[in-house]
Amino acid sequence: MSAPDTQPVGGAVLEVRDLSIRFGGLQALQHVNLEVNEFEIVGLIGPNGAGKTTAFNCITGFYTPNTGSVSYRGRDVTKAPPHVKAAMGFGRTFQNVGMVKSATALENLKTAQHAKAGYDVMSGLLGLPRSWRAERALTAKAEAILDLLGLASIRDKRVGGQSYGTLKLLELGCALATDPDILLLDEPTSGMGPDESDELGERLLVLRKEFGLTMLVIEHHVPLVLRVCDHVYVLNFGRLLAEGKPSVIQTHPEVVAAYLGGEAPDALEATQETEEDAALDAQLEAQVHAAGAPEPDALAAQPEREPVAGAPRTRRKPTAAAGESATRTRRTMRKDTP
Amino acid sequence: MTLTASRPVSPPADDAHSSGGREFGPIRWLPRVLVIALLAFWVLVVIPRSETYAPFAADAVIFAIVGLSLNIIVGYTGQLSLGHQGFFGAGAFAAAYAITVQSLPFWSTFVVAAGVGALFAALLGVAALRITGLYLALITLVFGVTLQRSLFEVPEFTNGGAGQPAERPEWLFADGRFYLFCLAFLIGVVYIDYRLTQTKSGRALLALKENERVAEAFGVNVTSFKLLAFVLSGAIAGIAGALYAYRIGNVTGDDFNFTLALTFVLMVVVGGLGNRLGVILGATLFAVLDGYLLEEVGFLHSFTEQIFRTPNLAQYDAQFLGALGLLLTIVLNPGGIAQQIQPFTRWLSGKPFSLHGDSESGPAAVEGSHVRA
Amino acid sequence: MTPLALAPDTTYLAFEFSSRITTPVISGAINGAVYGLLGLGLVLLYKSNRIFNFAQGEFASVAAFTTYAGTAGFGLPKMPYVFAAILGVSAAVVVALLTERLVVQPLFNQPKVTLVVATAGTALLLIALEGFVFGAEGVGLDPVIAGDALTSGGLRVTNQGVFVVVVLAVLAALTALFFSRTKTGTAILAVSMEPTATSLVGIPVKRISALTWGLAGLLGGVAGILFAGNGGLLGPGALTAFALIPAFTAAVFGGITSLPGAFLGGVLIGIIQTLGARNIPESVVPDANQVVIFFVLLLTLLIRPAGLLGKET
Repeated sequence: MSAPDTQPVGGAVLEVRDLSIRFGGLQALQHVNLEVNEFEIVGLIGPNGAGKTTAFNCITGFYTPNTGSVSYRGRDVTKAPPHVKAAMGFGRTFQNVGMVKSATALENLKTAQHAKAGYDVMSGLLGLPRSWRAERALTAKAEAILDLLGLASIRDKRVGGQSYGTLKLLELGCALATDPDILLLDEPTSGMGPDESDELGERLLVLRKEFGLTMLVIEHHVPLVLRVCDHVYVLNFGRLLAEGKPSVIQTHPEVVAAYLGGEAPDALEATQETEEDAALDAQLEAQVHAAGAPEPDALAAQPEREPVAGAPRTRRKPTAAAGESATRTRRTMRKDTP
Repeated sequence: MTLTASRPVSPPADDAHSSGGREFGPIRWLPRVLVIALLAFWVLVVIPRSETYAPFAADAVIFAIVGLSLNIIVGYTGQLSLGHQGFFGAGAFAAAYAITVQSLPFWSTFVVAAGVGALFAALLGVAALRITGLYLALITLVFGVTLQRSLFEVPEFTNGGAGQPAERPEWLFADGRFYLFCLAFLIGVVYIDYRLTQTKSGRALLALKENERVAEAFGVNVTSFKLLAFVLSGAIAGIAGALYAYRIGNVTGDDFNFTLALTFVLMVVVGGLGNRLGVILGATLFAVLDGYLLEEVGFLHSFTEQIFRTPNLAQYDAQFLGALGLLLTIVLNPGGIAQQIQPFTRWLSGKPFSLHGDSESGPAAVEGSHVRA
Repeated sequence: MTPLALAPDTTYLAFEFSSRITTPVISGAINGAVYGLLGLGLVLLYKSNRIFNFAQGEFASVAAFTTYAGTAGFGLPKMPYVFAAILGVSAAVVVALLTERLVVQPLFNQPKVTLVVATAGTALLLIALEGFVFGAEGVGLDPVIAGDALTSGGLRVTNQGVFVVVVLAVLAALTALFFSRTKTGTAILAVSMEPTATSLVGIPVKRISALTWGLAGLLGGVAGILFAGNGGLLGPGALTAFALIPAFTAAVFGGITSLPGAFLGGVLIGIIQTLGARNIPESVVPDANQVVIFFVLLLTLLIRPAGLLGKET
């Protein structure tokens, strides 16, 4: 259980301090602070044009902020370019699906493993044995992810022709294939119906458990935010409007005003945990338990912002394996670590 | 709601055609093996023994190497290079200078040529980091022409207008042997190109061709891979230039004018952008058209010279047919030769013969062969 | 000639200045006027179609060759220069319209770079056709107006030279007025910005496209006749090889979306090029005027892609 790479549970994975960026005359972000702790799922919400995606782009290195800093596990990474951050463990998705459209699903998942491919360009070009071995491992991991997401049927299909919901899911798979430590998801449920969105929420919880992920999620679908997020930040006009537990944010007057222009607080859809949800949880726990995981505490958000109890205690060491495919995933995913 | 993670593992998707290919019986493979053996016999035995064919076959092979090199930039990174004759010429002069003036050993001249080609390509690659699309096409055109008119005329390196001699070693004097020598290089380049498309580099190039941000999010260092594409392309073009220098024996700057650059683009587009076999066939077609059919057989120029009553039209015949071929390809048949011969190549690879290609095909398809705007 | 051994007196300095600076500036400006004229057509097509037309040099060549054929007779009675020139410009317009109909329209929805490759193919095809008819050696076309306007010292300004500058200035002004003042001109710009929307509001997009190309052919044709009449031999592809690249550089340098920019860019490029060629010895940099062009283009694209007068890239 206590591998050498064990991190103090609850340490800040991502810390954004005083982030500001300006495009011409537009102040897109102003003094934004946010923090994502180990194994947390943190929501980033706000009306359209509030600067959520801009914040993502600053965090992942696509934009360089004018002031402020981005730290990853205590290291200042404000100026690191996107591909360096991807290699560090930042996995991200895009608002409008970021994938290579003319390539197949399998090829996309292999492309996403670029930084951890396990061989250099030269040995690839010359066809040295190590590149062949590494390629087989990449394919195996890609296939495992396809199985995990139930997308095996589109393995060799061109990504371009798939439905939006499938694309969003596959894109999540690509982000997973980058072997992330922290996942940044930009509207993962856009283009999905309510059922699909709920399913995705469950998936995120399972993924966190299995792969020890930390997540920052931009999301509009309120039930999902309430269901999966441990902590929520609200952006409005480039400023941080509020932060807190989802249930608190839900009734925060300023947040409601920002969304609805000063309507009644209860206008924000309040979704309490239903019986059905509880049953789902139980089912999930049972699976986890059956697979020999340590007894997790309840998945529900903790009263204070403390370590997420349900999460594994070692980084990147899936402790819970739910079902056969997940076990297989874990096995193949471990292969790439030399 | 079910958790997908708990679903049983679905079996790997099996394509209808790939399962067909696995049933190997003599009736299936015998005709295919025969056709391949016949082609190989012709390429490896008949051509090298022919005094007439061998020199033009060597040209075709050299052009094919240039075509594959250009394809790396145009087909894989989606940028248009109209200055490829610059790298080709730089390689030719570098080899000629190395062997004649510096008296370096024969084999090392190829290293020098590859290095010089890669260096020039890297310079252009740096510009390509900032300049893209139409503007890059323009600057590459001007770059190529500038190299030809200025650098290739510097007397110290190129011997001015007289040209820089490049003599083959004795064991390569015979044209048939030289052709096989070039063929060996082509096979090496095809292998490298194949590996490029099969490994992370090829996937990275495709990703950055389509969407640089996605490529970056996947951890691809866009700057390095763009430069890699240019450097690799330049090195291969440089080697082709060295072979060309030994093929013609005396290199002059005039050999590398901008119509040559356009010819390179034409043959890649007519052959089928992004398709290895198509590019090789396109290059062969142009080399044979230019050299053998028009100069030796003269099937068109006797005709045009009679109509127009003007002498020395051979150079325009090739240009005319090439340009016509390009326009027809772009307007009517964007997949190029590669698409036309697809039924045959599919049959050769063990699939049933059918005039309709894969509709849902993956990496081998010729689709997406357009360069980016 | 003042011997170099003499101490630099004022006469010598004046001579040096005139041969190194004044003469190149004036002759460069005249050369540059032709680049500007060719560049006008490039800017026009860029403004309307968002492409680089690599066949523009050959539209010009077609006009020049046809004019030559008209004045030389070719078995028929020789024509007066003016008629031959009109015939030449018409030929260029016809070729441009054919290009638009046979090459550009079928590729309307293709990526722009495909279209650019196609225009390069068109150029190659036209060069071959010119070769078939006129041979590889090249022909000499007379100037529109023979004689010199000014000769003093090393400086010689031909009437043709003055004429070229005047024609360029007039055409640049006319095309600029055409785009700002006429309905058709604004329609062309509207089509370039929003092809779908403009066809919805009833602007005949296809006819506008043909009109633009015809206009580009006309500008190219005039440029070709003036360039070929400047002296030197006109061979197949000569204009593509020697005038098209400076014209593109002029258009980009002046601002690829600006018609006055093409005029200004052309004249400046001509001057910079000639100054470079006159002051950089051939033994140091062979064909310095080509090298100068390359660096001007490269620096423009790196530092200010919008060019001198352009507002966008």
